Amino acid sequence: MQSLATALDIPLSTVERWARQGRIPIQRKGNEAIFSRAALNRWASIHQLTFDLDNSPNDNPSSETFDTLLAVMKRGNVFHHLKGNDKNEVLRSVVNCIDFFPSDVQNELLEKLLAREQLASTGIGNGIAIPHPRDPISRAPASPFISTCFLEKPTPFSAIDDQPVSILFLLISPTVKHHLHLLSRLSYCIRDKAFVAFLHTRPEPQALFSHVGALEKQLDEH
Amino acid sequence: MKRYLQQWRYPGNWSLFRSDDRLLLIIFAIIVGVCSGLAALLLNRGLESMLEWLHHYRAYWWAIFLPAIGAALSSLFLDKIVNEGAGHGVPEVIYAVSRYGGLLRLRSSFSRLISSCLTIGSGGSAGPEAPVVMSGAAIGSNIAQAFSLNDRQRVALVGCGAAGAIAAIFNAPIAGMVFAVEVILGEWSTMNIVPIAIAAVAGTEISRLLKGNQIVFEHLQFTIHFHDILACVGLAIFCALASIVLTRLLRFMQRYSKDTPLPLWLRAAVGGTMVGIIGFFLPQVLGEGYHFIRSAIEGGFTHGLILVALITLFKMIATSLTLGWGGSGGIFAPCLVIGASMGLSFHRLIASLWSNVAWVSEGCFALLGMAGLISGILQAPLTGIFLVIELTGGYEVILPLIVVSAVSTTLCHYIEPASFYLKDLVDQGQLLRPGTDARVLTDLRIPELLETDCICVHPDLRLADFIPIVKASHRNFFPVEDRSTGHFLGMIHLDDIRPYLFDPSMHHAVLTGQVMDTNVKTVSLYDDLSDVLQTMDNDRIFSMPVVSDSRFLGMISKATILDQYRKELIIQTGPF
Repeated sequence: MQSLATALDIPLSTVERWARQGRIPIQRKGNEAIFSRAALNRWASIHQLTFDLDNSPNDNPSSETFDTLLAVMKRGNVFHHLKGNDKNEVLRSVVNCIDFFPSDVQNELLEKLLAREQLASTGIGNGIAIPHPRDPISRAPASPFISTCFLEKPTPFSAIDDQPVSILFLLISPTVKHHLHLLSRLSYCIRDKAFVAFLHTRPEPQALFSHVGALEKQLDEH
Repeated sequence: MKRYLQQWRYPGNWSLFRSDDRLLLIIFAIIVGVCSGLAALLLNRGLESMLEWLHHYRAYWWAIFLPAIGAALSSLFLDKIVNEGAGHGVPEVIYAVSRYGGLLRLRSSFSRLISSCLTIGSGGSAGPEAPVVMSGAAIGSNIAQAFSLNDRQRVALVGCGAAGAIAAIFNAPIAGMVFAVEVILGEWSTMNIVPIAIAAVAGTEISRLLKGNQIVFEHLQFTIHFHDILACVGLAIFCALASIVLTRLLRFMQRYSKDTPLPLWLRAAVGGTMVGIIGFFLPQVLGEGYHFIRSAIEGGFTHGLILVALITLFKMIATSLTLGWGGSGGIFAPCLVIGASMGLSFHRLIASLWSNVAWVSEGCFALLGMAGLISGILQAPLTGIFLVIELTGGYEVILPLIVVSAVSTTLCHYIEPASFYLKDLVDQGQLLRPGTDARVLTDLRIPELLETDCICVHPDLRLADFIPIVKASHRNFFPVEDRSTGHFLGMIHLDDIRPYLFDPSMHHAVLTGQVMDTNVKTVSLYDDLSDVLQTMDNDRIFSMPVVSDSRFLGMISKATILDQYRKELIIQTGPF
């Protein structure tokens, strides 16, 4: 009875009343409720009620969990010595690093990244930029990733503090929700001055990840 | 063996009926129709033998006290032995159908039979139909309960009982069916009509088997001209007037007798004595009065206009004296008598005014008057039309019949918006026809609409500690509870504290107890939803806290109400 009420998205007491009033094909026998799935399905379709007994109630989207920043960064990998003399060239070489994308997706991504940069630069100061498409790309990956890219030489990026950029975090996410979640975590890390200084030493992946992990732990405890 | 019997108690669970109970209902409809038909015949026989037995005493002067004795006995029986209210019982059936899914007591299936037999048999001016309807309905309801059928099936069987009873007592299956659907259930759906039709057939068949296929009033051939139909409109106006006068008179008598400081049975005796006095001079007003109708239709009633008009008037007075002062019986038969005498008077009137016009015989006008009064009093035009057609077995009168019924119903509806049966229920706000707003709102209870996703806070919380709670909540409302007793203190609405939330200097200075609204309107778990909505509309609020035993239980909001309301409406009005 409870599972039925959940499947119909109706309070249990309503289902019990309907059964008593004979408005739903359920028979009572003492404390038991007898119903046939086919009859209920027919009943639901006649009354245009959404009804799916097989769906487990845990599937609802509100309880979806977000990945940690660390996991997302590990998924995106770290790239060193990226070449390029201006914004376009740098972004082109960043996109080329994402080798698991087919080339047409890469082109779409680059286009969207450039469009976003036209709108306003993603350079957030201190030589760091977080390029990302404005809305999810058409063939977005199932889970988000952040690729950390260290440039060979600082490149002018028309950042807010007009400093040339040498560190890029390419942020690709399947939904806007994921995007905001990761962006908020990433910017928490970048607000940490020690972390920014550490980034400018162009650390190896292992050192970077352990630092990010520590910062994220700090954020969660906060 | 016990298990086998147990199986029989739940026919709704048999695999044959599980997904579709139409066959089940039809089978039960036959049983109910037969039983209520038998009940109707029983009352009929009882009345006949009682009339015969008392007939010899009519000549004595003390016969005027006979109705008093009968009414007092019937009132005593109802009040002391079976503990039921007086009256005819049809409103009770409608009330049970609309409020309790047709739940009726077992004793109702015989109590009205006995009490109305006493009242009418002794000469009280009332009809045997409403008591029989009550019995039939109670039989249907109790059969449904015995087999644990659900509310919808039970309501259908209550209708079956009423239909079977009317069909049996008048030998009129269509009238029974139409009456059950039009007056008792108020809902035309194939789910109900099929079993009710079956029950009407079963009831009629039982009465024909045991009583013979006799039509209550002899069928006569009428030739109706156009000017007769014109005259019908005039008759309909008179019928409507008579209906309204009778309704008012009955209600007046009821109110008046309520204010009389006498025990119930004595009140009935007072009413009965007055009826007896009237009956001493005008014996036509006594009893159910079918004999008078028969002679009126056949044209055997030869007295003049004044006497017929007097009969009309005094029948009304006698009926309201009998029923209003505590006698037991129905309004159907008196309506027929009043209608017939009304038709006669009208015919006498127009015949004397336009004596050169060839009017159709006065019997026809008596018929039309009957239909007009039934339609006017019950505000059920179809019942009036079909009843009169079946009572007389004549089809020729159908055109003027429809005119009279329609005009009379419409006029009565202008002056008395609720019919005689429904007036009390409408006054109490208890008339809940299926598929109406009131019906849906009564079925939906507040516990079904409760939203429990609010986060409760304590009044001694600092604003700084309150902010994480705001972050975690999906709602704009935060109920405040006392820390030690758990009692509901008030609500915090996000709109009220928004200015302070973003002011860090306030975070440590303000307590939740200071910003809460202690003057909130609350709802209790068992409030009527229509009242809740009324309050919401009046105060222009969108949601209200539900508080029971000064404990917060959840919120109730218009959004959830709309969602559930729509589902409920789909379920109630859709096909099964």
